[in-house]
Amino acid sequence: MRRMVMAGVALALVAVPACNGGAGTTASATGDDTLTLSIGNAHTGWDLASAALGDNIQYYEPVFDSLVRLDTKARPRPNLATSWSYDSTRTVLTMKLRKDVRFTDGRALDATAVRKSLLHNKEGTNEAAGKLRAIDSVAAVDPRTVAIHLSAPDPQLVVNLGDPSGMIASPEDLAAKGGPVGSGPYVLDKGATTNGSTYAFTRNPHYWNPKAYPFDKIVIKNISDPTARLNALLGGQVDWARITPQTAQHAKSRGLEVQGHADSVEGLYIWDRTGRIVPALGKVKVRQALNHAFDRESIVEKLNLGYATATSQMATAGSTWYDTSLESNYTYDPAKARKLLAEAGYPHGFTVTMPDVSSVAPGQQVVMTQALEDIGIKVKVDKIPFTRLFTALQSGEYAMSWFKLQSGQPWDFIQSELAKGAAWNPAKDFDPKLNSMIDKAQRAQGAAQTAAFREINAYLQDHAFNAPWDVLDAVQGNSKKIKVTPRAFVSAVPIYDMAPAG
Amino acid sequence: MLTFLVRRVAAGLVLLYVLATTAFAMMSLTGSDAARNIAGNLATPAQIAVKKHELGLDRPWIEQYAQWLGHAVRGDFGTSWFGGDSVSESLVLKAPVSLSIVVAGLLLATVLSVVLGVAAAVRRGWLDRVVQATAIVGYAVPSFLMALMLSATLAVQLRWLPATGYVPLADSPSGWLQSITLPAISLAIGAIAATAQQVRGSVIDVLRQDFVRTLRSRGMSERRVLFRHVLRNAAPPALTVLSLQFISLVGGAVVIEKVFGLPGVGSAAVTATVNGDTPLVMGVVVYLVLIVVAVNLLVDLAYGWLNPKVRVR
Repeated sequence: MRRMVMAGVALALVAVPACNGGAGTTASATGDDTLTLSIGNAHTGWDLASAALGDNIQYYEPVFDSLVRLDTKARPRPNLATSWSYDSTRTVLTMKLRKDVRFTDGRALDATAVRKSLLHNKEGTNEAAGKLRAIDSVAAVDPRTVAIHLSAPDPQLVVNLGDPSGMIASPEDLAAKGGPVGSGPYVLDKGATTNGSTYAFTRNPHYWNPKAYPFDKIVIKNISDPTARLNALLGGQVDWARITPQTAQHAKSRGLEVQGHADSVEGLYIWDRTGRIVPALGKVKVRQALNHAFDRESIVEKLNLGYATATSQMATAGSTWYDTSLESNYTYDPAKARKLLAEAGYPHGFTVTMPDVSSVAPGQQVVMTQALEDIGIKVKVDKIPFTRLFTALQSGEYAMSWFKLQSGQPWDFIQSELAKGAAWNPAKDFDPKLNSMIDKAQRAQGAAQTAAFREINAYLQDHAFNAPWDVLDAVQGNSKKIKVTPRAFVSAVPIYDMAPAG
Repeated sequence: MLTFLVRRVAAGLVLLYVLATTAFAMMSLTGSDAARNIAGNLATPAQIAVKKHELGLDRPWIEQYAQWLGHAVRGDFGTSWFGGDSVSESLVLKAPVSLSIVVAGLLLATVLSVVLGVAAAVRRGWLDRVVQATAIVGYAVPSFLMALMLSATLAVQLRWLPATGYVPLADSPSGWLQSITLPAISLAIGAIAATAQQVRGSVIDVLRQDFVRTLRSRGMSERRVLFRHVLRNAAPPALTVLSLQFISLVGGAVVIEKVFGLPGVGSAAVTATVNGDTPLVMGVVVYLVLIVVAVNLLVDLAYGWLNPKVRVR
């Protein structure tokens, strides 16, 4: 009897759930008309003024429509704005708006709504707000026309209006206290949503462009742990998720589609180019020596398992300011690196203290340290918690470190690393020549602007601002029931670039 | 009994105050830079300073703590700095997830550890040796490793159970059971190992006592001796271990929720701590301490029920 009880308990615990049909069928709630995504980043609320970018754009896209839509090469295409043009000073951007667009609260989307929404978005302190810094004011010229006045030309503004920065919320509830009110293709299904973990969206029956969104329902699950995210994908519970290069092969072998697309430039970032902390870094030959220290191809293959592209320039391949001819300038050549160090007056190298990045890039830390020691540079690793890393770097505590930044859009990169006051320019305004080049690029347009950005790229490489190794891929996996076309230069894939396979 | 209860509750409140103060101090003095995390990687120092001011992080921590405490005693735990949701509402949504796996894990541990422990003590021989060896292995394998193994085999490979996610009991009882089974088993294994050993030892000790011999000599059946007398005497030490295991299960749930992508309190605690989301971390701390205090109180009451001498102390 006792034996039977014990066996019964054990059997019941294991078998009852399986008898209910098994998770393989019920948990895979994604019918053909439902697209289920898994996002690692936590949702930061529905107020667009506090919107984060990167993977977070997928949270906002179902409910808010943007002024422009970015194609797979990140070029702006008409959306809520049907056309746009700059004035001769490139400080007034005039946009014509689509007719007959309504918010889900029934109000019309017009120039006044766009004006209020843009100004509200700009007032925030998160990433989306940061992209609207150049906006001075917005005028509703007539119900279908807005004029965006800038304090200075912003070559990136129109593209940024394709992200949450340019998404438009109902003017009656900009802070989205009761949930999002937009004019997007879907509406939030509050009954099926659990804040912080699962967000469900059903079709907005009044959306003007339903064909662009083939799924009837979108479900977004926030799963922060990469292993859990991969398991959800492998277990058929989600259709799409960001994965890591280390798990890509496993995902492929289990029948998933895996794609990598250019995301950010990884390498040794030199923050102290004035030599304030480490005098040697103030010399261009020393910085050039650093560029000869890394075996880029090996890093791509062995460290990033092929999910990266070797490069020695800051511009991302495929972007307008990328120049193939620059790739041969800094080959892997430790002997040349030592020679350059000697010519700069450092025949025995020097010592540099760098922050510990082993929690996020353990392999990179090992490779970087070894490569530098191979050319005579001794590295002292400072054990600081990762949570303090960004603050420490921005406040100029370290002369150089491993890092990665997106550089697919030249103006964005300039704003984040080179401009005076840029977040990643702890040395601040130190190069008048570069500043004049930036100024020229800012005010140019068309082919002249592209040429000006390319000149900046060449200047950065020639003066060895950093020692980049590769462009890291954003790796993503999806089930074969959907087709995904990644957008260039951003980690996330827009929902409108996902469709049922076949 | 009432004095006993009042004393225990007062001690719990003191513990809550001490832990909340310590947690707030640690978040403020050594925590991550919340303003910078909210503003994003591309924020300039000026933008970060604005965010800091907005969050009140430019004030001394003691002032921030006094403000938090003032609101907390009125039941207002503020809003999460990241999601903007009310902390109280957020915990109400997340608590069932964590409690489901912890309580299910504890029930599983209680039933299996008693069954295995008693069987090993009564039967001895090969069964005893197998139970002991299994217990050692079960205790040695960390719960997160067990979770990863169970997830990889039963969920990903065989697809018997979901690899991630939580289904509320009200939505679908079978879905709920499926979603908590693997996390609960992962959590329970260590507790089963520890408690089964304790039950085994206690039962053997009691079985050796004179009163058991006397009961047997009076012709009482083995089953009656075991269930009516031995188990009741062997229960208090096992209860102590189980109450400690509960606390350990609550701690273990933090990792298990991550592995199974469960939107519980533990998972929120990890994310909130890394981000430096002080209101949410503090809410979680208060919630966890209250749970632990309540469980200890229940265990004390159970002791009193099992052994009236305890109530006198």
